[in-house]
Amino acid sequence: MPPGSGHHEAVTSESIATGENAVTGVGTAENAGGTAAAGQAAGAQATAGQATAGQATGGQATAGQATGAPAPGRAGAKTGPGSSAGGRRALSGWLRWAWRQLTSMRTALVLLFLLAVASVPGSVIPQQGIDPAAVAVYYTSHPALAPIMARLSLFNVFAAPWFAAIYLLLFLSLAGCVLPRTFRLVGSARQLPPRAPRNLARLPLAASYRTALTPAEALESAARLLSGKRFRLRTSDGWVAAEKGYLREVGNLLFHIALLALLGSVAIGGIFGYKADRLLVSGQSFGDTVTALDQFRPGRLVTPQDLAPFSIRLDNFTAHYITSGSLRGEPSSFDAFIRYSGRPGAPMRAYVLRVNHPLEVDGVRVYLIGHGYAPVFRITDGAGRVVFDSPVPFIPVEQSGLTSEGVIKVPDADPDQLGFAGVFLPTAVDVNGRLQSAFPAALLPRVSLVSYAGNLGLNDGQPQSVYELDPAHLRRLPIAPRPLAPGQSMKLPDNAGTLAFTGYRQWASLAITYDPGQLPALISGILAIAGLLLSFAVRRRRVFVRAAAGPDGATVVHLGGLARSDAVGGFEAEFASLAGEITESHGGSRLTGTAGRPEDQQAGLDAAAAFDDQVSSARNDREPSLGNDEGE
Amino acid sequence: MFRLPRSPRPAAPAARPLLHAPAAAGVVLAAVTALAVSGCAGGPIGQDTPVSNGTNFVAGSYASTVYANGSGPVAPDIKGTTLAGRKFALAAYRGDVVVLNFWGSWCPPCRAEAPALAALATHFWSRGVRFIGVDIQDSPAAAEAFERTFRISYPSLNDPGDEVALEFQSTVPPAGIPTTLVINRAGRVAARVVGQSTYSALGRLIADVSAEKS
Repeated sequence: MPPGSGHHEAVTSESIATGENAVTGVGTAENAGGTAAAGQAAGAQATAGQATAGQATGGQATAGQATGAPAPGRAGAKTGPGSSAGGRRALSGWLRWAWRQLTSMRTALVLLFLLAVASVPGSVIPQQGIDPAAVAVYYTSHPALAPIMARLSLFNVFAAPWFAAIYLLLFLSLAGCVLPRTFRLVGSARQLPPRAPRNLARLPLAASYRTALTPAEALESAARLLSGKRFRLRTSDGWVAAEKGYLREVGNLLFHIALLALLGSVAIGGIFGYKADRLLVSGQSFGDTVTALDQFRPGRLVTPQDLAPFSIRLDNFTAHYITSGSLRGEPSSFDAFIRYSGRPGAPMRAYVLRVNHPLEVDGVRVYLIGHGYAPVFRITDGAGRVVFDSPVPFIPVEQSGLTSEGVIKVPDADPDQLGFAGVFLPTAVDVNGRLQSAFPAALLPRVSLVSYAGNLGLNDGQPQSVYELDPAHLRRLPIAPRPLAPGQSMKLPDNAGTLAFTGYRQWASLAITYDPGQLPALISGILAIAGLLLSFAVRRRRVFVRAAAGPDGATVVHLGGLARSDAVGGFEAEFASLAGEITESHGGSRLTGTAGRPEDQQAGLDAAAAFDDQVSSARNDREPSLGNDEGE
Repeated sequence: MFRLPRSPRPAAPAARPLLHAPAAAGVVLAAVTALAVSGCAGGPIGQDTPVSNGTNFVAGSYASTVYANGSGPVAPDIKGTTLAGRKFALAAYRGDVVVLNFWGSWCPPCRAEAPALAALATHFWSRGVRFIGVDIQDSPAAAEAFERTFRISYPSLNDPGDEVALEFQSTVPPAGIPTTLVINRAGRVAARVVGQSTYSALGRLIADVSAEKS
């Protein structure tokens, strides 16, 4: 939205609606500039005048910066008679100013911070998507506040428009910062080497020799040699300038593009991916469809149609535990023996799911993430009919003995609905009159249950957790909980029925993840590292050759070398061998073959610093390592 | 490590396996973006896609989709066995309006809508409307007790492996429990109701579809 559009209308309607700010007529929160209301109004007038006068956009941008409100450009276009061209220029000036502000590092950091702050309400205030029951409770306990909070999307923070605004701005800000930088890097990589300095002996690395070749021949052969070593050349009368190490820029570029790609991959995962969980008892099967999932967290554009239509049956689950030593009771292996098919009607294939050994089907990964016990109950109601006969997953509450808790809901028992809550102990032992589980394997399994009758609250349609009993309308039956072994049963008082503990099975919980951004993210991560390494390992280096006829008629060739100062060393050796090769190919006799003389070192440093400046004007590290390190 | 979260939900995301950490430099950025992007992915994205809500099943929030004049997808030919043990094939119902209701005896909205469905099934019987249940994530004993409680007269498929739901995956998947599909006399899906349906709203839908010429 162009800044300030609709500003006046918004002010009017807000003033009427609320009766507030009627005097000033400003101060709505409708647009970004709204808070700096008075200044904004003043700025609008000032700029309107400027636009009429046809001032340059730059001046207006400065004025806008002073008022801190990017609205007036538009106001000028509206009010200034015959100033539409100036208004447009003002608008573009404002937009450019806004873009510069948005893509500045400071803005990115502020947005990052805002994003963190904006997530806080999401964990403090109950969220509709996570716990609608808690939101309902909030409505009853804060009847006045809750509707206002709902209007501000505080019960749905992560889908709130203001939250989206923050992360979209952040994304824009990062992209807007990285892209121009990339273009600049491309430009600098395409530049020709600079002209050769007049006095090559003043460079950090220098050599010279005499040769019988003419200067032109000497330069040509040196150029050929350098070109053969993949230097980029620039030749002129009397000199050759060669530069190498553009891979450094390529690496830099690669790093930046890879970072953007990484952002994009993560976004793709969030938009097109989904996550789901499912708890599966041995002997049960399920299909990857919304109704069969315990939890379903779809990406923005994921619909139930998009789920891969595989199905999985858990044939058996085994867990092995260490039986002795200090690690007694620690798990040593988990194996979920499953069969799966990619789509309805396709043949079932066997697979063993293990921790960190996921199943991959149709691009979707299925991880084994948990396990536990599901005692099997058969419950007969007061009328003598079997109203319940199935395993009930109990959830471990501690790991050393896998003591597990669970509830059983029997909503169709007659005359009253029945509910049970209790524990499953895989290896039950009596410690001072209290039952505990001494080992996670089911060596001596027992269940102990508290019995309830009444109304479970299931019939009014309000979703409730399958792992919790709502005790509001239940009465506890007068029967003390006692441990039941498999095969044992307990008769409920008041002719309410009978519960039989017929055995137990194990369950495995599965995490289903589909993240199409995962591979791109991995690749861009690797590319980012590669780019970074490349830009660290390679350095730009220049070699200059000058040849001129000496006083005695022989040709004197001067070589000079310069490398960017902050990268890894090694250029001295490279230069020496280069100089040797060139000298040899010219049949030259060596005059000097060292770095510049001590009095010339400062000049060399200056040259190196200038090189740095040219390569990256943003850096200030004029580290004098080159000149000092070599003392040949 | 292989540890279960101690929350009442067995498959909390805390125990999710680690993804590949891509790059030292990228991780921070990725984390930030993941926060931003996954954050937005948690919300409901329109009424068609329910999200989980801590109840350990995906309850449909009420949303109905109507395909007018036979514009809906062709219903797959689902086959199976009813809770009573009889063979079932949807193709045998061509010429009837079929109301396919995905339910479970443990699911509160299903229990809440059951009296309305039972009444509608009786009401529309003479107009050639047949109700079929699809019982999911349930045990036969509990399902039969449910049918007794609510005096359900129509048959239900026993679908412990979600095969029926998967048949509809590519067209009109049951996007929550309960989901009710109305299939017209030509065998095309005419309406989908996700969430607890009411006597009046579902009744109107069925009346419209049954009045269509086949």
